[in-house]
Amino acid sequence: MDGDGFLPGEFPAGLRVLLVDGDPISLVIVKKLLRTSLYEGHILQLFLQNATEQKRLCPCLERRKMGLILLCVMFTCLAWIGLKFLDCVEREMDIPVIILSADEGDDDLLKSVIHGTSAFYVKPVCPRLVQSISEHVFRKKVKEWRALNKSTLPSEHFQIMGQICSKDIDTV
Amino acid sequence: MERNQSRRQIAVTRQSLFDQGFLDEQFVQLEELQDDANPNFVEEIATLYYRDSSRLINNLEQALEKSPLDFNKLDNYMHQLKGSSTSIGAKKVKAECTQFREYCRTGNGEGCVRTFQQLKKEYGLLKRKLEAYFQMVRQAGPSQVACRPK
Repeated sequence: MDGDGFLPGEFPAGLRVLLVDGDPISLVIVKKLLRTSLYEGHILQLFLQNATEQKRLCPCLERRKMGLILLCVMFTCLAWIGLKFLDCVEREMDIPVIILSADEGDDDLLKSVIHGTSAFYVKPVCPRLVQSISEHVFRKKVKEWRALNKSTLPSEHFQIMGQICSKDIDTV
Repeated sequence: MERNQSRRQIAVTRQSLFDQGFLDEQFVQLEELQDDANPNFVEEIATLYYRDSSRLINNLEQALEKSPLDFNKLDNYMHQLKGSSTSIGAKKVKAECTQFREYCRTGNGEGCVRTFQQLKKEYGLLKRKLEAYFQMVRQAGPSQVACRPK
């Protein structure tokens, strides 16, 4: 399973990240950020700019076992493509999705929450994004652990991630 | 001696880009990502930005010549331009993008045209300044690293 032996606070090794964006500059920056954070896994990047490309996304996800999706779509008429994709991911694959948006609109935030994304992050892209990724992947791991073990994780696992995670663990 | 002078000049030029509002904090984030593996990372991003922006500006130009104006289309292009301007820290250009999109939202064609002219001006100015700045950096030699003012 991807990310075995992963400790909170460390970047999950081998995590397969799907990076979807229509902005070539943002793609380069995010990739650089991930690499700089000693992330060594596989980054698959896709431009999402029309409906044809969107149709290829879901099958691609299934085949390649992605661990995380970073999604930047324009929330305008074109964006319904992105939201349909989210529905597909949410329903079928349970992969954490983090949205990167160039807009701060509340509308977008609401829509993305309804469609089940893990986080909504306003561009510009900066190192805090990496922390956010780490946090969300960790959260998912805890969920999985609980489902398997019907118990909570030992508390030393929480120390490194600090306040944020220990606050959220109870609601996971 | 000369080396020190050119480093000072570079630092002064760089600082003026921030002081005059051309660039914001995001540019510093990009500088911090630059390392030995990618020693020209920021300049590469800038080059990508020029290419992407000129494509979008062309599209906008053509779209603004149509009648009636397709505000959705205009907004889409401008959203993209805003995104990339945000990613590089192009503060003034980003502000013009926001203003333009506001005019799109209210269907104000004249406002769009006016703002677009202003945007092209700001973009042209920024591009010239960045190109001059990177040229200085390159001429100073590979040991020159942009340093963040304390």
